[in-house]
Amino acid sequence: MKFRAKITSKSILELFIQVSGTVARLAKVCVLRVCRDRLCFCPTGLLGEAQLWGEVRRGVFRHFCMEGVSEEFNEIYLELMSEHLARAVRNAGNASSLKLQLTNKRRPCLTVVVELASCPGHSRAMVHDLPVKVLPRRWWKECAEPRVPASDVSVYLPALKTLKNMVERMANVGDRVLLEANQNGKMNLSVETDVVTIKSYFKNLGNPPKAVLGMTQEKDPESMVQVASITYHVFAS
Amino acid sequence: MSGHTDGLRPPLAAASRSLFGKAIQTLSRVSDDLWLDPSEKGLALRAVNSCHSTYGYILFSSLFFQHYQWSPSATMRDNDIPMNLNCKLAIKSILPIFRCLNYLEKSVEKCKIVSRLDKCRVVFQFFCKHGIKRTHNVYFQDSQPLKILFEKSLCANILMIRPRLLTEAIVLLTSNQEEVTFSVTPGNFCLKSSSGESLDLSSSVYSEMSFDPEEFDFFQVGLDTEITFCFKELKGILSFSEVMHVPLSIYFDFPGKPVVLSMDDMLLEANFILATLSDHPSRVSSPQSQSLCLSQALRRTEPTQSSAQVGQSQASQAPESISRAAPKRLFPKDPLDSSCATETKRASTNQDDISEVPESVVSDMEEGPGPSQLRKFSCMFFGAVSSQQQEYASHPLDSLAIASDSEEDWDTDRLERAGLRVPAAMVSQSQGIQQMLQAEKPVAKKVSEARK
Repeated sequence: MKFRAKITSKSILELFIQVSGTVARLAKVCVLRVCRDRLCFCPTGLLGEAQLWGEVRRGVFRHFCMEGVSEEFNEIYLELMSEHLARAVRNAGNASSLKLQLTNKRRPCLTVVVELASCPGHSRAMVHDLPVKVLPRRWWKECAEPRVPASDVSVYLPALKTLKNMVERMANVGDRVLLEANQNGKMNLSVETDVVTIKSYFKNLGNPPKAVLGMTQEKDPESMVQVASITYHVFAS
Repeated sequence: MSGHTDGLRPPLAAASRSLFGKAIQTLSRVSDDLWLDPSEKGLALRAVNSCHSTYGYILFSSLFFQHYQWSPSATMRDNDIPMNLNCKLAIKSILPIFRCLNYLEKSVEKCKIVSRLDKCRVVFQFFCKHGIKRTHNVYFQDSQPLKILFEKSLCANILMIRPRLLTEAIVLLTSNQEEVTFSVTPGNFCLKSSSGESLDLSSSVYSEMSFDPEEFDFFQVGLDTEITFCFKELKGILSFSEVMHVPLSIYFDFPGKPVVLSMDDMLLEANFILATLSDHPSRVSSPQSQSLCLSQALRRTEPTQSSAQVGQSQASQAPESISRAAPKRLFPKDPLDSSCATETKRASTNQDDISEVPESVVSDMEEGPGPSQLRKFSCMFFGAVSSQQQEYASHPLDSLAIASDSEEDWDTDRLERAGLRVPAAMVSQSQGIQQMLQAEKPVAKKVSEARK
């Protein structure tokens, strides 16, 4: 089994830092699924029935090479503490490169190498060995990519910052936030308790062009999706 | 004790004020108390943490101040030896005064510090813009400062590096590490961190970063070794060294012997002495072997011998303060006695033990009201020490923090070596003295092990 990948682009690096940070906030344990053409984040044990899935396609890495468990099952599933990964990359924003490598240093490790550009020709690198558990095949199905059922409504979210502020405030009021959206670019966010209802209306949001199945052509069909507010809040962060 | 109003009066100039404030902030991380120790050389700030694993000493030379005046206060009755201002301030009272560095630089035009012995007060006066004058009266406790003498130039390994390089490295370390390790060979310097090892997933991350010797301004490695000490302290010290704009010097030897981090520019000298783990924790070591014993020898000081050494006698303040401190650190005396024996044996096997650190509590060995056990506790130092009184007598007393030409000045002051075993807590569990004794290895063996 082999895995080696390197990120040199600053924006991708920042994204990677963000993703690992978000995953760490959501779940203690994360499974990194190394596939032939991508790297997937599969945090386990999320609150409620939420599932999180992140994918980083091979193309964003400067180098990417892997050799799975076997030819037939050409993947590697690595279980690690999300906090470890997040901390290892947290301050790597100024690094010249970030390297991930599966190593065996007394025990299987995901080695994260943060390389700093430094003065005259010397490059210094902080090497972190994150302990990982290589998951045997029988556990692979637990980390399968979630099937996203065809949606009734698809809408682009408003600025995340705005959304986050709103959800945060609503979370103070109640447990559940109701999110509604329609194909005309409208979205409502509301929280309801016995004494008060707070509702925010967004309009002129775009809709993704993909055709939606089972859609009726009513002007304002409200597709109701209920989301537990806390998880939603973290998603927005 | 007769009152003397003009102990010192140094108005601070311009940007120096924020440096002074930063020094206080840095020392506040070490301890809850701060000693103000003025002398003709300048004003020294000293702090030691409660478990005696960190000692900070920042000396502002008299040139640092626009105006510096120090005169010895009343002399002791029998002889003409001047008595120092024994002034211990609670950090809580003085930190808020110097908390806002920006304010110190921008709005304060002059800062005046005056000690008033008669009222047991130190007065900090800020002359600010618009004619505003702020006066802070801070009460102090009469307490002999603990002083450390340590001959750092005799250390086998001496490194000098721009603090920025270390800071950049530290930032990348996963922040929940308690300890950091410096590992050196003549060809390499490696910064490492980890906290233990276990077989499940929640075991800690191991991190390391290597530096090329060329990145150092000065790189002398006489002994391949690894030393481990408190990460948090390193962070604080690096933060201070960045504002000093001078290279950071690191002096160390074998594990167990304290490491000295020091910065020196012409006006200001800062030294931090940190205890190191005496056994380098290998990656599979058990927690027990991570001894926090910092190889301190507890030594009884002989009153008769000490009086020969002591050039001056002081008021009997020290025993009070030290004995207050002692119960915090030390448990039953008996283990200490046996440890004393161990240390004696250990130290005497190593004639080359250059790390002898004469303690320098400027305390009154003769006048001390207490019996000899108070004296036993009244000295502290870091580092192994030879137990022979005779040897001691022949050793020159070299001061750690003093400029090179003033070693002679200290000869008259210095006293005994003694030491205190330090059940320092660099990790949160406190370790008993017995454990430390068990983990203790003979000095000779340590020195001979080459560490990679």
